[in-house]
Amino acid sequence: MQRAAKCALRLDISRAFCPSNVRNCRAVNRVNGSVSCRRYSVLPPPRDEEEKAMLDSMLRVDHAGEYGANRIYAGQMAVLGRTQTGPLIQHMWDQEKMHLERFNEILGEHRVRPTLLLPLWNIAGFALGACTALLGKEGAMACTVAVEESISEHYNSQIRTLMEADPERYTELLQLIKEFRDDEIEHHDTGLEHDAESVSLICWFASYEMYVLVFCCCCV
Amino acid sequence: MAALIRGLRAGRVLRGLGSVAVQGTLSPQCSNVRRGFHRAALLRLANDSKSDTSVPPPSYHEVDTAGESSSSSAHGESSEDAQPNTSFQDQSGEHGEDYETEEQLQARILTAALEFVPQHGWTVEAIAAGAETLGLSSASTGMFNNGAGDLALHFVAQCNAQLAETLAEQNNQVQLGQAESKKTAEFLRDAVEVRLRMLIPYIDTWPQAMSILLLPHNIPDSLKHLSTMVDDIWYYAGDRSTDVNWYTRRAALTGIYNTTELVMVQDSSPDFEETWAFLDNRIKDVVNMANTAKQVQATGEAVVQGLMGAAITLKNLTGMNQRR
Repeated sequence: MQRAAKCALRLDISRAFCPSNVRNCRAVNRVNGSVSCRRYSVLPPPRDEEEKAMLDSMLRVDHAGEYGANRIYAGQMAVLGRTQTGPLIQHMWDQEKMHLERFNEILGEHRVRPTLLLPLWNIAGFALGACTALLGKEGAMACTVAVEESISEHYNSQIRTLMEADPERYTELLQLIKEFRDDEIEHHDTGLEHDAESVSLICWFASYEMYVLVFCCCCV
Repeated sequence: MAALIRGLRAGRVLRGLGSVAVQGTLSPQCSNVRRGFHRAALLRLANDSKSDTSVPPPSYHEVDTAGESSSSSAHGESSEDAQPNTSFQDQSGEHGEDYETEEQLQARILTAALEFVPQHGWTVEAIAAGAETLGLSSASTGMFNNGAGDLALHFVAQCNAQLAETLAEQNNQVQLGQAESKKTAEFLRDAVEVRLRMLIPYIDTWPQAMSILLLPHNIPDSLKHLSTMVDDIWYYAGDRSTDVNWYTRRAALTGIYNTTELVMVQDSSPDFEETWAFLDNRIKDVVNMANTAKQVQATGEAVVQGLMGAAITLKNLTGMNQRR
């Protein structure tokens, strides 16, 4: 944690010294002299309180969404891990883990508060994943389809908001969200390929949970 | 929202000031006329505050139409906003380079008023005395709707800003390798001590300030200041957590800070030694609790593993674990 802290703080300092249009400052980890893998800063320095609040809220919701998705896949793996669909779910889970890690970094760097409801999403996500997986492979895939659809909808609306506001200012953030949205759509298509029957109750429940997550985490 | 509050405040101020002035010409919507009006009042060097707010020059009415559109310009949040407020225009429509916003002026008055706090307490009298040292009329206390609350909140904000600067400076030095980084417990202890030492000049009247900050209409602001201070301290201590730890750490530090503050106001030992000893103990407590929690978790996991092992052994012994 200390090293990560040093990297983060160094990035802060380098951001302070670099002019605002040069945002690609690599941080050098002085502990072992190597260039750390920290990427450039994704957010522009905030202009005012409103912009900071908007970006904070967006990142908080995204972080909560990825965390929830992570737990859903964990629940599915717990039930279906040793079956044939195990490797597929594991692959999708790994991608979600990468997304979550990236958001963790961003939240730490930009001092964004994580949502208070994380423990709730921990349990609810795992329960959702496990319960749908108990209905078999089709149930798990249906849940995946529904959840990924909600998430990509949500990312799309964020992209729209940022594009309407100022596409040039938020270039890196837009790039990041687009990349993640494309991954989520890929998961959605994978779910469809693998016989996700439209088990409508599951879809409804999964989507509803995602919407609730999105609305709650904006504020809390 | 901020503009609305400011408009309301301006309205209330002028209702007070306008009681002896010409009434009929001021319409409720012309907040800019009011600004110019009460600024004229402030800039008069008056001996007697209350009766001296007469004579609005007729030229101010011309400012109405021109100034309407800039009534939404009241967005300057803090005193570091250097943009001139376009609401005040003299007859030729020009304004000076060194013009300051209302927020900057208020900040200056409150900073000057802090000198008089030991004498007058956290009251409007202190603000009036501060205004007088700047050469303004003591009627300028009318600018501060919240009175003593404004003074206390200003002081808290000032201390927090100073603390953030100090922490950033220390951090810089650590980054540049000129200083060693401290352990978390020591860092927290030093940060809280630095912040509490800023109260020492006002420690006799601090209980009054604390009670002012606990008034219901001041609670949102004082909580906001407290939470940003605690967040700053943890950030510079190196906390980058993104889970529930974010909340538990800040809650713990808030508890430590508040209790130490309470101990400090009734501490009479030389240089507040008892307070720092209390602070040490509280931080040790929190560190112990964190360690205990980790130990409990590790023990719990070990127990679960043991139980699972026992269950599997039992299944093996009874032959239930075979694949059929």
